[in-house]
Amino acid sequence: MAANMRGLTQFIADIRGARVRELEEKRINKEMANIRKKFKDGNLDGYQKKKYVAKIIFTYILGYKVDVGHMEAVNLISSTKYSEKQIGYLAVTLLMHENSDFLRLVVNSIRKDLDENNEINNCLALHAIANVGSSEMAEALSEDVHRLLISPTSQTFVKKKAALTLLRLYRKHPEVIPAAEWASRLVSIMDDQDLGVVICVTSLVMALAQDHLDAYAVCYTKAVDRLYRLIIQHEYSAAYAYYKVPSPWLQVKLLRLLQYYPPTEDPTLQKALQEVLQTIMNNSAEPSRNVQHNNAQHAVLFEAIGLAIHLDTNSPLVDTAAVLLARFISSKETNVRYLGLDTMAHLAARADSLDPLKKHQGTIILSLRDKDISVRRRALDLLYSMCDVDNSELIVGELLRYLKVADYALREEMVLKIAILTEKYASSYKWYVDTILQLISAAGDHVGDEVWYRVVQIITNTEDLQEYAARVVFEHLKAPAAHESLVKVGGYILGEYGHLIANESGYSPIEQFQALHSKSQFCVAATRSLLLSTYIKWVNVFPEIKPQLINIFERYRHVLDAELQQRACEFYALACRPDDDEMLQNICEEMPPFPPRVSGLMSQLNRKLGDTEDKRTWIHGGKEMNLERQLTKRKANKDAEAPVNESAPTSGTAETDGMMNSLAGLDLSASSRPESEAPRLNVGPSIDKWLNKLTYSAEGVLYEDVQLQIGVKSRYQGHLGQLAIYFGNKVSAPLTSFTSTVYVSDPEALSATFAKIPPNVLAPRTQSQQILHVECKKVFTSIPILTVSFLAGAHQSISIRLPITITKFFEGVKFGQADFFERWKLIGGPPRESQSVFPVVLDSTGHVDLARNRQVISGNHLEILEEIDSNSSNIVGAGVLHTSVDGKVGCLLRLEPNREAKLCRITVRSTSEDVAGEVRKLVESVLRAES
Amino acid sequence: MIRFILVQNRQGKTRLSKWYVPYDDEEKVRLRGEVHRLVAPRDQKHQSNFVEFKNHKIVYRRYAGLFFCVCVDANDNELAYLEAIHLFVEILGKSFMLSAYLTYLLADTDAFFDNVCELDLVFNFYKVYAILDEIFLAGEIEETSKDVVLSRLEELEKLE
Repeated sequence: MAANMRGLTQFIADIRGARVRELEEKRINKEMANIRKKFKDGNLDGYQKKKYVAKIIFTYILGYKVDVGHMEAVNLISSTKYSEKQIGYLAVTLLMHENSDFLRLVVNSIRKDLDENNEINNCLALHAIANVGSSEMAEALSEDVHRLLISPTSQTFVKKKAALTLLRLYRKHPEVIPAAEWASRLVSIMDDQDLGVVICVTSLVMALAQDHLDAYAVCYTKAVDRLYRLIIQHEYSAAYAYYKVPSPWLQVKLLRLLQYYPPTEDPTLQKALQEVLQTIMNNSAEPSRNVQHNNAQHAVLFEAIGLAIHLDTNSPLVDTAAVLLARFISSKETNVRYLGLDTMAHLAARADSLDPLKKHQGTIILSLRDKDISVRRRALDLLYSMCDVDNSELIVGELLRYLKVADYALREEMVLKIAILTEKYASSYKWYVDTILQLISAAGDHVGDEVWYRVVQIITNTEDLQEYAARVVFEHLKAPAAHESLVKVGGYILGEYGHLIANESGYSPIEQFQALHSKSQFCVAATRSLLLSTYIKWVNVFPEIKPQLINIFERYRHVLDAELQQRACEFYALACRPDDDEMLQNICEEMPPFPPRVSGLMSQLNRKLGDTEDKRTWIHGGKEMNLERQLTKRKANKDAEAPVNESAPTSGTAETDGMMNSLAGLDLSASSRPESEAPRLNVGPSIDKWLNKLTYSAEGVLYEDVQLQIGVKSRYQGHLGQLAIYFGNKVSAPLTSFTSTVYVSDPEALSATFAKIPPNVLAPRTQSQQILHVECKKVFTSIPILTVSFLAGAHQSISIRLPITITKFFEGVKFGQADFFERWKLIGGPPRESQSVFPVVLDSTGHVDLARNRQVISGNHLEILEEIDSNSSNIVGAGVLHTSVDGKVGCLLRLEPNREAKLCRITVRSTSEDVAGEVRKLVESVLRAES
Repeated sequence: MIRFILVQNRQGKTRLSKWYVPYDDEEKVRLRGEVHRLVAPRDQKHQSNFVEFKNHKIVYRRYAGLFFCVCVDANDNELAYLEAIHLFVEILGKSFMLSAYLTYLLADTDAFFDNVCELDLVFNFYKVYAILDEIFLAGEIEETSKDVVLSRLEELEKLE
């Protein structure tokens, strides 16, 4: 970038010196003519091209149309000099639109720069894609961009830019990014050492996770872990502190990311989050005099409050937050007031009880008169969100009063909101009608059609309202001036229900007619047509004013407007028919109720909600609205992901079924298909052998390959258990982004949580230990899966089953012979009995391997009962399963090996048929001879 | 996500515009005008740095005679972007001091802005775009460490 271009500087100075627009244009035209000529003559060196293209760019920036230089810009991109390349790329990104033909020419140059082993060029190319990102580029280059992001040799700058470029491509052309497939690899980069890389990847992950919650679920732990390290452990380099706040932007991103997931149920993560949020709130208690520091601190604080609200509106944290917010909404600083109101609206939108907020109702209503329209808007949103049956009259009353003086820009939205609140929280019919008519007469021009349609719908469908509505609308019409919207409502209501009040004095047909018709001359044709319809209805019910009405039809037969004329002609003919004619009566039958339909008001109000790149985590309005919205969203999400869910598990299951005969007992496919997809298991004879052994022993190797060894030690008591899982790194390089997760298909029956968020680096040739707490809540039949992933050059992932079986939660019980048989009989045969016969191997001496049989049975936590079976090679066992929710379940077992036939019969009886079957399978799978 | 960044002077002349969503040229002209009319008359002291703009919002900050405005989504964190503007301005100031170019035109005494003035932005427009690409990309914040950005810019400055 070194050399400044003198010609360019001169050109800019000349243009700045131009006193009037004409002179400026003259100078530019001269320059453009010169450039055109130079380009035509050709033979320009890189510097000249760069200079001319820069002048063209400058001209374009000033707002002039330029039509030269595209080719030269494309050429500059291929230059070997950075300064020329940069100008070339700048021209391409500024001058060319997404669909420009010239872009096709650059795709190849960009690819070349991406593939080159030069990070400066890589970055320039990434800038170009990130800035322009046409669909052609997305298709042609997204793989290359992804490669740069995940390549272990990529420099931090390249990684950052590649992450955001990918984000841009995903937002514009989601179909070209295999988001779910890339999930674990992308999430692992959230563990990068460089916080710049982390923030970029977090932005990317946040966008992808919103559409693929399950695939990106691991990011939850990563985000909590990173927040914990930033805020509690102060683990960041000084370069990333912004006015003493550790990368506020990253914190904000992470806190937001967590709001896209349902609150975690993992107690370890909950505890860490609690500590993080508490610390953030405490930190903000010490305001500093530095504006930047305060802003950064508050940026994080408001996001943290958002997360706290999302996690649990009833938590003490939210109580603390509510106190802070109450202070903020009367702060001297406008920004703080604005954000206080905004966040309070979030709280109001989710909280179970609005009482704590109602204490501040007065302050909030005052904020409707703040000096800043931005604050006034937030106050309006908050009042809208915190309105309920108790305070609706007050809030709506305030809003109505404010409507008359409110900014024009605010009024339409206010009218919608008032109309919605009035309908939703009406305490009486009278109040609804009074308020809504007051709204229509006060707001006039800002009343959209959907508002008065809705009023008509409600009144038509609510019989009790009709008479009162007719009376009130008539009173409004008697005022000297009435807004057209009111005339429309009046026309419709009086036409339908005017006869209900016609016998009262002051509401006679002629008075109704005069009140309505006097407004007619100020109305547009559409309203007048509506009034004609009213009149024809009146011809039917008010014969006493028929002459006046016919008179009007007659006059309107000659107006120029075709619609009016047609109506008048038809109505005139209809009205002039003989009195005993039934046609008029039939036509003017009372309107039937409208079919129930969703209010058009909400959709009108929600129109702008979809207009954000990252989805909203909440909307203005009460708790119900937010719950409803979440439900529909979740459903939509499910539908969208369904095809993915269907294809993947089938292949996974086929594999497990085919290759894992030895463990056929652990029927994975039969377990109810969980919400999130089960990880794909790694397979291999050794893996099965290790697992098999661990089902009846407390410790041993679970997995081993050239890089990694995993061992397990376990301890169980009653329904609780604790596993120490040892991870050993066997190589001389660290395993980074080391992540272990446990997948449980039915968390209602079995819970498994790590005691701590595990460290994400496994140093060379060391071992780390993680404690896993398990609890058996109910009978479960599928065993948890441990997934370990890490970066060692490439990203690797191993999924294996953990030896956490139902029998681990057994305790042996001792019975005498009589007791045993009594229980045995009591339980009875199938379905509470499970029995099978399977082949066995004899020991080296050709006998039944009694010792092993005994080891397996007692390893499955069953007490071996002696002297019950007279045959000494048979084994009889008894145990009881402990669960925390379903209580205890007894289980009896009988194993009868037959040496001659090399077969063994196993019979298990239990009060729970699931337990009987499961125990039978577990024991059988270990003892069964490999066929 | 940032939809666009505009830097305008008090008269409404746009000194820098960066668009992260595609708008056609006429729309850009219109948006520049609308943003200026929305932001310029606002009270510095008694009004916030945020203002609703169509379905989005403008987060802005005034430095001497220049308004730095970013248009972000309605649900974006206002203060985070407000400080992102400040970060950008600090980096602009520092990097133009490095280039030592046109610093004699120092005009304003604003605390952070005394080293970067409107003219720097005009004469060095192509550098400003390069700086921007180091701090924001694809409408998101890319790098938040001043040191990292500044040393990167220094490195680029040395290239031919």
